[in-house]
Amino acid sequence: MLAVDGVSRSFGGVYAVRDVSLSVADGEVCGIIGPNGAGKSTLFNLITGHLAADRGEISFLGHRVDRLAPHRRARLGMSIVFQAARVFRGMTVRENVMVGMHGRTGAGFVSAALRLPRHHHDEREIATHADAALERVGLTGWADRPADRLPIGQQRALQLARALCARPRLLLLDEPASGLRAQERERLAALVAELRADGLTILLIEHDVAFVTRLADRLVVLDLGQVIADGPPAEVRSDPLVLAAYLGQAS
Amino acid sequence: MIKLVAGALVAAVTLALPAVLDDSALAVYILLGLAAMVTVGVSLLMGYAGQVSLGQGAFYAVGAYTAALLALNGVPPIAGLVAAPVVAAVFALVIGVPLLRLRGHHLAFATLAMQLILLSLAGQLEFTGGDIGLQGIPQFGVGSFEFGSAAAYAYMTWAGLALVMLVTHNVITSRPGRALRALATSETAAASSGIPVGPYKLVVFALSAAFAGLAGGIYCFYTGYVAPGSFPVLISIQYIVMAVVGGLGTIWGAVVGAGAITLLVQGLDQLASLPGMPSYAPSVLSYAVYALVLIVVVLFLPHGLVPAIAGRLSRQRNDPPVETR
Repeated sequence: MLAVDGVSRSFGGVYAVRDVSLSVADGEVCGIIGPNGAGKSTLFNLITGHLAADRGEISFLGHRVDRLAPHRRARLGMSIVFQAARVFRGMTVRENVMVGMHGRTGAGFVSAALRLPRHHHDEREIATHADAALERVGLTGWADRPADRLPIGQQRALQLARALCARPRLLLLDEPASGLRAQERERLAALVAELRADGLTILLIEHDVAFVTRLADRLVVLDLGQVIADGPPAEVRSDPLVLAAYLGQAS
Repeated sequence: MIKLVAGALVAAVTLALPAVLDDSALAVYILLGLAAMVTVGVSLLMGYAGQVSLGQGAFYAVGAYTAALLALNGVPPIAGLVAAPVVAAVFALVIGVPLLRLRGHHLAFATLAMQLILLSLAGQLEFTGGDIGLQGIPQFGVGSFEFGSAAAYAYMTWAGLALVMLVTHNVITSRPGRALRALATSETAAASSGIPVGPYKLVVFALSAAFAGLAGGIYCFYTGYVAPGSFPVLISIQYIVMAVVGGLGTIWGAVVGAGAITLLVQGLDQLASLPGMPSYAPSVLSYAVYALVLIVVVLFLPHGLVPAIAGRLSRQRNDPPVETR
């Protein structure tokens, strides 16, 4: 489904990601872990299109995407849950989730201004899917509240609902567990497990190794911008290179 | 229900006023409506889509010059009035391509520079009449019916304002409107929801320019005269002050802000033209008051007049909002 092939990106002559190759298969949950500064966020931004690669190819569902703008990649079926709270201010929880339907509908400024049939048709469809997504993440009771006043756990759930509303082929989660309390983290893990059971392909970038080990079918370990291990979680966790990378950072 | 009654009341007062006001009060009423029209665009651009423009006066000028030039060359006024917002929007689309790559202060200064360049061009070029401008613009009319009174222009202005408000309301409560409000918070997150951020910023810039252009078109027929001096940089700042005072990101705020500032400036003008006041008093007073009003509003009513009043009303009606956590 997703293939990253020999991708590099440097900042001021220093490689943040160097010659990274990895692939994510249909229906798989793939975790990318690594110590601080390993290049996880850079790799994430290269995949989503918020950074351009210096070298290498990225393809998604058979399309070359490494020169496509982020919104085009989103429309192909990549949905993102960001680490930093990226809920849209000044909008209700439901409106935030409705934005997720943008790529799947087409009513433009003229339809909206003149209230053409296209507008009404799209609004009905958007509302139906947004309500379903809210229900799925358990935010139905919060739908009409201002989104920016939600606690961080619910903001993460809100982003997940927005991402699901786009009916993604690949869901990208950037450090979804960071900043969450134990209980919120459990709820999130249960939700991700449910999505996996539904057959959704998920790429999980995570600092918290315990969290990702439970959920992922496969782990890719980055260190200093390069892939140092790739395989089932149990194998990867006992890999001497991985241990050295993590211990090296701890010392 | 309350909204319906309030709406009917506002409509009735708006329609009744031109019949009872004298010509000098009507002039204020018309200029207020025109300023509100531009300010609704500013509120849409800044309040909802998060883009700053210190050059809305330029689009007002483009609309006014467009309608004036067409009318002076024998084109029917109605065609000139339609062309005014269209040309302003097209102008915004063209200059928006490079300008909207900038953000925040950089965008504000670039739009300001755009207005300065446009004004000095209008003051130099022959076909715009140079510093003297264009005079003898015919009265507005459709077919054989010609506008003879200021009241007719007042109705046209406020009908235009109602149209602009309706379009803005319809846009913001829809798919493209939610996209604009989303990109105001985070262009990254908006793009990842499938929103083409650049084109959307361009369209909202053009839409706000069209509102200003329409106001400019009406202005030129009403005054019968346009010149670079009619569109000073101060006018662009004034629209921002109006939008902020009324409440950015509210449609009614733009109208209330335009009303409050227009009436305040009128009062100051009368004060400044009292015998014994120096000749520079009007401009000094208005600059100082814009600054003062802006500071006071930002300090004490950071969300503007309309949200502050609406908040107070809803707090009286309901229990205080519960903190969610």
